[in-house]
Amino acid sequence: MAASAASSKDRQFLAVIGDEDSVTGLLLAGIGHVSDGPDADKNFLVVDSTTETSKIEEHFQKFTQDRKDIAVLLINQHIAERIRHRVDAFTDPFPAILEIPSKDHPYDPEKDSVLKRVRRLFGE
Amino acid sequence: MEGLFFNVNGGYVEGIVRGYRNSLLSGQNYSNLTQCETIDDVKLQLAPSYGDFLASLPPNPSTSDLAGRMMDKLVSEFKYLTAQATGSSAEFLEYMKYGYMIDNVALLITGTLHGRELKPLLERCHPLGWFETLPALISATNIEELYNIVLIETPLAAYFKDSLSHQDLDELNIEIVRNTLYKNYLEDFHHFITTHPDFRGSPTQDVMAEILQFEADRRSINITLNSFGTDLSKSERANLYPQIGKLYPEGNYMLGKADDVEGVALAVSAVADYKAFFDAVGLSQGGGLGGMGGGPADGKSLEDLFYQKEMELSKLIFTRQFTPAVVYGWMKLKEQEIRNVTWISECIAQNQKERIGNFISVF
Amino acid sequence: MSGAVGREAVFPTRQSLGLMKNKLKGAEIGHSLLKRKSEALTKRFREITRRIDEAKQKMGRVMQIAAFSLAEVSYAVGGDIGYQIQESAKQARFRVRAKQENVSGVLLPSFESYTQDGVNDFGLTGLGKGGQQIQRCRETYARAVETLVELASLQTAFLILDEVIKVVNRRVNAIEHVIIPRTENTIKYINSELDELDREEFYRLKKVSGKKKRDVAAADAAILAARQRAAEEQAANPEAASKAPPAKEEESTDVLGENEDNDVIF
Repeated sequence: MAASAASSKDRQFLAVIGDEDSVTGLLLAGIGHVSDGPDADKNFLVVDSTTETSKIEEHFQKFTQDRKDIAVLLINQHIAERIRHRVDAFTDPFPAILEIPSKDHPYDPEKDSVLKRVRRLFGE
Repeated sequence: MEGLFFNVNGGYVEGIVRGYRNSLLSGQNYSNLTQCETIDDVKLQLAPSYGDFLASLPPNPSTSDLAGRMMDKLVSEFKYLTAQATGSSAEFLEYMKYGYMIDNVALLITGTLHGRELKPLLERCHPLGWFETLPALISATNIEELYNIVLIETPLAAYFKDSLSHQDLDELNIEIVRNTLYKNYLEDFHHFITTHPDFRGSPTQDVMAEILQFEADRRSINITLNSFGTDLSKSERANLYPQIGKLYPEGNYMLGKADDVEGVALAVSAVADYKAFFDAVGLSQGGGLGGMGGGPADGKSLEDLFYQKEMELSKLIFTRQFTPAVVYGWMKLKEQEIRNVTWISECIAQNQKERIGNFISVF
Repeated sequence: MSGAVGREAVFPTRQSLGLMKNKLKGAEIGHSLLKRKSEALTKRFREITRRIDEAKQKMGRVMQIAAFSLAEVSYAVGGDIGYQIQESAKQARFRVRAKQENVSGVLLPSFESYTQDGVNDFGLTGLGKGGQQIQRCRETYARAVETLVELASLQTAFLILDEVIKVVNRRVNAIEHVIIPRTENTIKYINSELDELDREEFYRLKKVSGKKKRDVAAADAAILAARQRAAEEQAANPEAASKAPPAKEEESTDVLGENEDNDVIF
């Protein structure tokens, strides 16, 4: 417990993997953070139909494992579907992964990794 | 008198546009659209006017795809018009494109500032704002180069020349650049239609001067309202006001001094139309910015009222003859139509039917 | 030995019996404490689970409203602002900080959102038109993100609690089903061994006393025989008989003393 508590201290950003509209909206809310320097590191990824799944996975890996300053990762549910195995396999408490609905894909609680666990625990 | 010779060069274009105008959606069409349950229904309703362009869309397309296709149709029609136009009409159409060019250039400048790949940027550019040297902007690797070599080759060079240097591009917020360019563009367009021998004293001057002045005033008011709470200084702000329009010069001066919404309401109170808008949205009674948009009972925001006014002006253009201004009017109406349809389909897609009527239809 | 639980490898002594009894007591206290902890956590857990369910539904609605406000923006601006927004993002204005909450000894992190002052990347976006809509959209999204952050803390708490409850329950079960029966078994074993020893000892002592009784009886018989002989001799020779009795008195008391001693030892 102590270790995770300590590491949660410097987590202060949110990250987002989403379609253009979701990302735009969330950036408007002010979550966007781009580090300085030539290889500017963004904390958001815009996914459209042409984005390769491997790229999504790579960013998922980056946001969840490599970067230690991200507290919450928001990901559109339909994108989470594309890398479902990765999302399901990720069970660490940090960063928290949140599946959010997107404009064109209304929220489906049946697919949510966490809610699935909730349901299972209550034997529904 | 102008009727005698206008049709020699401009008659065909005008005729075509009047034809296009008839395909604009009417109030009846809109009320049909608002009854739709799915985007597919919307697509079906739009079929008479947009048939071939929507045909290739997949079932239940996203609203942005839908809007994209509608824009494609507008673009292709406009391109046809420019191809047919000659002489002063062609120049006029060229001027209409500058507004879109400004957006494109602003986009590219943003991209260059951040060292982005310019290829995907070009895909995002508005097709109407395309000009021959636009792809050349790709070759610029930094802002100075962009300014010295590339921008001066563009049709917009004149708008850059007097008010912006390459240092400005670096430091100024891109929005200021965009608005400065737009200001220069409006003034130049206004100058063009009032001084060009073909247009001076013609119906074109009458209607276009009015609509451009309205556009200028709208920008001044919007800029003022939107600058509250930002770090835009008053002098910078005053530099962005176009020096035409009903508000110029006294109204602009007062806008420049305004500190809050009441100040703006006071500044525009000299012009009956704008005063009526402010009264309608309750701003002049100190309603505050929070009252904009969703606040008022009838759901109209100040911007909505401005759009409404713009549409009415555009519609009025069609009462005139022998002028390429009808193209301008048609274009604005068409853009509003695309916005309306996008809005309606957005409401349908997101199940927010209660505000579906919040569009502007003038026919 | 009952079942698979077995018993601990101890020498069945009274000392280890005492140890085991203490251990059993400790295990029972620990069990009830852990049980209570687990119940407290589970209560909390159920509450969180319920709140997650609610929050997820709420999120659906909030995000929809937010998406709609973005639609309003694109209507007002009359174009796409996505790219510009993405490019002008520099510093996060909206951040979270982690707090900790103590639930029955478990540290649950919860995120708290705050806005970094003085960071405003999009101040002038939509200056020409649509500025108010953008402003409103920002507020709507900021509220939406707050909901998301709240949900994220719930979810993190959910994951951690889930883990902790599993561990605690495992401990509770281990104590209940392994340690306590095992200790009880050991105590039973020690008791039975001790009883066995007791019985053996008792039997042994009984044997010893039996033997002693036999010996005493034999000795008594011998003395009796001796007395008879002496009486006969006295009858034959009275002089010798008058001298002999005191000595015999002493001898007999001695024998009795010995017997008493033996009794004491019993």
